[in-house]
Amino acid sequence: MSTDVAGSGAGVPLAVDGLWKVFGPRPDRALTLAADGATRAEIQAATGCTIGVRDVSFTVAPGETFVVMGLSGSGKSTLVRCVARLTDVTRGRVTLDGQDLTAMGDADLRRIRRRTMSMVFQHFGLFPHRRVIDNVAYGLEVQGVAKADRQARAAEVIEVVGLGGWAQHYPQQLSGGMQQRVGLARALAVDPKVLFFDEPFSALDPLIRRDMQDELLRLQRAMPRTIVFITHDFAEAIKLGDRIAIMKDGAFDQVGTATELITNPATDYVREFTEDIPKAKVLTAAALMTPMAPGAEVPHDPTGAGPGGARTVAAGAAVETFLPVLLDGADTLTVVDADGRAVGVLARTDVARALG
Amino acid sequence: MTVAAEPVADTGEPVPAPAAVDTAPAAPVSRARRLAPWAVLVVGVLALQAAFASATFPARLDTTFSDPLDRLARWAQSNRRTHPLFTGFFSPLTRALTWALDSVQGLLEWLPWFVLPAAVGLLILVRTRSRGQAAVAVAVTLYPGLVGLWPETMATLALMTVSVVLCVVIGAPLGVWCAFRPGVERVVRPVLDAMQTVPAPIYFLPMLLFFGVGPVAGAFATVIYALPPMVRLTTLGIRQVPGEAVEASTMFGASGRQTLLKVRLPMALPAIMTGISQSIMMALGIVVLAALLASGGLGQVILEALRQRATGRGLAAGLAIVAVATVLDRAARAVAQTDRTRWLGRRPALIALGALVAAAVAGRLAGSVAFPGVAETTLFDPVDSGVVWVRDNLSWFTRPVNDTIVGDVYVPVRDFLTGTVAWPVLVAVPAWLAWRVKGWRLAVFTAAAVVTMGLLGWWADSIDTLTQVAAAVVLSLAVALPLGVWAGTSTRVEAVLGPVLDTLQTLPSFVYMIPVVNWFTVGIVPGMIASVLYAVVPGIRITALGIRQVPTESLEASQAFGATPAQTLLGVRIPLAAPTIMAAVNQVIMMVLAMVIIAGLVGGGALGFQVINAVTRGEVGDGFEVGAIIALMAMVLDRLTQGIGQRLQPPSDR
Repeated sequence: MSTDVAGSGAGVPLAVDGLWKVFGPRPDRALTLAADGATRAEIQAATGCTIGVRDVSFTVAPGETFVVMGLSGSGKSTLVRCVARLTDVTRGRVTLDGQDLTAMGDADLRRIRRRTMSMVFQHFGLFPHRRVIDNVAYGLEVQGVAKADRQARAAEVIEVVGLGGWAQHYPQQLSGGMQQRVGLARALAVDPKVLFFDEPFSALDPLIRRDMQDELLRLQRAMPRTIVFITHDFAEAIKLGDRIAIMKDGAFDQVGTATELITNPATDYVREFTEDIPKAKVLTAAALMTPMAPGAEVPHDPTGAGPGGARTVAAGAAVETFLPVLLDGADTLTVVDADGRAVGVLARTDVARALG
Repeated sequence: MTVAAEPVADTGEPVPAPAAVDTAPAAPVSRARRLAPWAVLVVGVLALQAAFASATFPARLDTTFSDPLDRLARWAQSNRRTHPLFTGFFSPLTRALTWALDSVQGLLEWLPWFVLPAAVGLLILVRTRSRGQAAVAVAVTLYPGLVGLWPETMATLALMTVSVVLCVVIGAPLGVWCAFRPGVERVVRPVLDAMQTVPAPIYFLPMLLFFGVGPVAGAFATVIYALPPMVRLTTLGIRQVPGEAVEASTMFGASGRQTLLKVRLPMALPAIMTGISQSIMMALGIVVLAALLASGGLGQVILEALRQRATGRGLAAGLAIVAVATVLDRAARAVAQTDRTRWLGRRPALIALGALVAAAVAGRLAGSVAFPGVAETTLFDPVDSGVVWVRDNLSWFTRPVNDTIVGDVYVPVRDFLTGTVAWPVLVAVPAWLAWRVKGWRLAVFTAAAVVTMGLLGWWADSIDTLTQVAAAVVLSLAVALPLGVWAGTSTRVEAVLGPVLDTLQTLPSFVYMIPVVNWFTVGIVPGMIASVLYAVVPGIRITALGIRQVPTESLEASQAFGATPAQTLLGVRIPLAAPTIMAAVNQVIMMVLAMVIIAGLVGGGALGFQVINAVTRGEVGDGFEVGAIIALMAMVLDRLTQGIGQRLQPPSDR
């Protein structure tokens, strides 16, 4: 895959500040009630309004993958539609690369959309009356790119997502996984700086889903873009997300890295999700270690063979990779960085507590 | 209804309050409640009958509306050339449409006869690559020429093409508008409903008033009749476009217009095509009637055949109309065929087009323009002989049938209703039924509708028409319901009935009026028989559909409890299919009403005669009144039967 196909921009920062979305006849009244601490049900009863998104703020750094994880009805799809301005925002601000999307008129918004953002949809949102290549070229067609140019670009992106040879087919002739590759290619074809994913893999079979997740990771490594990814699958969230927000009843319960959520769940709700996660696969040595000051003395371990005789483990290694060593009788391990320098100490008891 | 409301108080008493009933304490109350409305009905009817036994209906508004309308018609007649309303609007519209009709017809007549079948065949071949379909289309296009009806067919084809194009040009944007603006739809929908419930000849009067006699009025009447499915299905199609596809388009920065043209309309195309097909079928149904407005063409041929009782020629022309509709439908589908993998490609298409033009020029130069006379309508002479044979040899059967229907059923019932029963009873009973079915609003509307019949001075004719409608409905249901249930339970029966029903449905109804008139002479019977033939089709189809749609699990559950087939049919199938069967009844009633009006052409009398008379002689005032009464009848009957259907729905579906 050539870098030029993957795109030129490296993503732009996205900031969401105090975002509210209220559906119904009297949003202002609902906002007042909500400010007084009324619950969703109380507001619904009093005003007939539904709170879709409740005071959500977050930032996504350039090239970061930010995952919003929630069950159905949590407001996650509404949130991504607000951020992408597919629906109007009741209150709050969405800032993309310093530009306030919420204050933007239709014409400016169209300009931003044509150049900087794309979206991949749960049910693919493909156009059944267009061939794969014309689906992928749609964004360029809307921009007014000449037919030969947009078809050439679309053909390249179709190769990138592994659909070479299918360009002249219609979407219905493809399997679900291939259709979503078309959706992905269509989003990538306009070389966006920001990508929104609305549960893109939840309609796919488990094996295909894993392929698509790997595909996304590969693309993101080659050319990092700013990504907001919606999912209801916690395993998918920790696989893909640099940071994860757990959403419930329209608000964020907790935002953090996978390790933070697992080792330190803020609410019982978050804990429930983390319980079924194979922690030994997810947690790394760096996440569990006690950091040491540079140059601190390395505890002596007579059985060890590392610096100062201690057994060592790489900072990024998952717990499951060094578990046998701990079970073998080692009480502590020295965590080293990529250059072999000791950065922390990992005690068997720390690991036991984290896995328990 | 003040009359009916009064006896409510004293009906509570005659119902015995059985204190001895030891079940739920609510039982006696609910029983009294159940019986009260019936008591209201009985007491009310008896009281009204006693009070108004000899009263005739006071036709107070006899001329209130018809005179001004007649004056308006005369004014329109004399000012057609001068008044700005006509010179500024209707006349230019008429000229534009006349030009369109003449151009299309002129082109079709200028072309050598073989160009049209070739063009149709090539179009289908180029767009679908299906040789079979192309061959069928060519054969269908050739048929009218083979039976000697080529010029008339070209006139009808021009009328239908222009009407259907107008339907699309008006209906598609209107449908799109409705899809985006619920406010617009709230206004448009009731109008479309009315356009579909009101029998078609009713539209003809305003058309006559605005456009005068001729093909233009016929084209507009056709457009009005055929428009509703176009609008409805366009709206439906646009609404059915998945939200994600629209969002995807928006996310790429497409403007509203781009999303409409590149995503919404193409994705709605299958629904829009169904709309065009249905519009073509509707237009097919009305081109015969349009001949009453002197639009000429095949309709004229059929009307003449009806007058001369020439069954064969009528059948030939009827089939030619079906051919026109089929060719238009296939051609429209080929044009809308978007799956490019099935196209033949641009080069063959251009070669085909070139060959067609060359053939047309060559044909003109060689002078072979007119369709070579081959078989003419003599092809259908055996049909005429058959009809005559039946008339001459089966009179021992047809005569008593005729006499029984007229003498023993129709006349006594009509005389009983118009002579013996006091008119307020005939207002009160339908209103009571409406009240029971849908509540007081429909009751008031029903009462007002019935009173209007009398006030406008058409009491006797209205009751007469309603008697005919009732008789034809009873007959139709007696045929349609058992056959429908049978077809619903047996695939073999459905397979046998299918082609028969298809034929009855697609042939213009006039065609089977002709032999019936031959056998039963002019009068109410041919109209009624034609109504029955016309109305049993949807009756059987929808009933069978309802029976078939009953979930297999429910049937299996019934069988698992050891129910006999009869028990399953009566206890599970029919009750579960009841709402759909009611929809069949609704369709039967609406179609019978439409046909009983048209039967005015063959001596059906009453309102039908008045409408036909108004249309053919331009008696606008009477025509409008009678039209309004028929429209009211249609609306009341439609809502009543729909209301009953809703009451039969299981509670959760309501």
